[in-house]
Amino acid sequence: MYKCYNKKVKDFLSHLFIPRESNNHRAKILHHTNLLLTIAFLLLASFFIQTVKVKYPSVLGIQADISSDQLLFLTNKERQSAGVGSLVINDELSQAASAKADDMFQYNYWAHNSPSGKTPWVFITAAGYKYIYAGENLARGFTTTQSVIDAWMASPDHRANMLSSNYQDVGFAVKSGNLNGEDTVLVVEEFGNLYMSVAKNTPQEIAPAKSTVASVPAPVVPAPVAHKTVQAVSKNPLINTSTLSSNIYYVFILVFIFALFLDMVIIEKKKVMRFVGHNIDHILYLLLILSLVGIWSKGVII
Amino acid sequence: MFTKILLRHNIYYLMLAVVFCLSFLLAYSSTDRIFQIGVIVATTFFYVLWGIMHHLLNHDLHLKIVVEYILIGGFGLAMIFFILSVNGNH
Repeated sequence: MYKCYNKKVKDFLSHLFIPRESNNHRAKILHHTNLLLTIAFLLLASFFIQTVKVKYPSVLGIQADISSDQLLFLTNKERQSAGVGSLVINDELSQAASAKADDMFQYNYWAHNSPSGKTPWVFITAAGYKYIYAGENLARGFTTTQSVIDAWMASPDHRANMLSSNYQDVGFAVKSGNLNGEDTVLVVEEFGNLYMSVAKNTPQEIAPAKSTVASVPAPVVPAPVAHKTVQAVSKNPLINTSTLSSNIYYVFILVFIFALFLDMVIIEKKKVMRFVGHNIDHILYLLLILSLVGIWSKGVII
Repeated sequence: MFTKILLRHNIYYLMLAVVFCLSFLLAYSSTDRIFQIGVIVATTFFYVLWGIMHHLLNHDLHLKIVVEYILIGGFGLAMIFFILSVNGNH
């Protein structure tokens, strides 16, 4: 009984993957009907997963655990390692970061400057923070606080902001929403140094502006009292859609690449004449498609 | 064996590989999702047309082959649609 079952499975797999007489010398999985069925299945599966995701977010959704507390802790840890003083959470900067994140979701953009030309400094000033130095780091698509910090530290410009001795205050916003059609978690980090705190100590030269660092003189105002605003996104659905979709993606493409490769090797050995496309073309194309998931599954910083 | 296959159509495969690499770099360097999708759709059209043209030049073009390239291209685009729609919300 077991042997019979085993033989049937073996025969089915051979029929599916190995070109032979029973499948007209072309792996069955590569036949037009099977390709068409696979396309139909993928389209139906995406509609099904989307529906479940909307109706039951506790079952299917993005898994993320990022908090401003952890961001502050890890930022200060990096600063201490570099011998720079710790940053203090500033309520105005946190408000500015929150307003920036809301603006990005509302106007659907991923940039330091909004499409209408609003710079990060507009949000900082609007929140009531009178700065002499300010900077902004942005991240999206990350699922843990550590991965956000690692990405910023790996980029020279973001690292410079993280470790700059020009800053004393910091504000964070961690928000989830839909940006450019993608459900994502946005992390906004606003750095600053109050005009007053610099003016009190030493007369400062204004640093040259960089892409993420602005320095403008501001009117002298009393320094605001620092408050602690905790922001966090902690989602833990039963099934993480990001992992689920990536796994399905990898399995489907790798199975087809394997079938094409096997088909090519066997036919080349058997020297069977047939009217089919070049398997190398298909393999190269599928490798390109496979590599794209890497682009779309990783977090991005600017 | 692969060297034999590759050498048989070396310029053709080289061109295909170059276009695919450029397409990957273009998609990788951009953070604009719409642009990335545009690059992939354009590359898929190129792949289908390039494949058909190659068979035409080899005098072994058949309707079955045209359908095969279209279906593999469709499969690639369906995969992209799948990953983007599952992770996104359209």
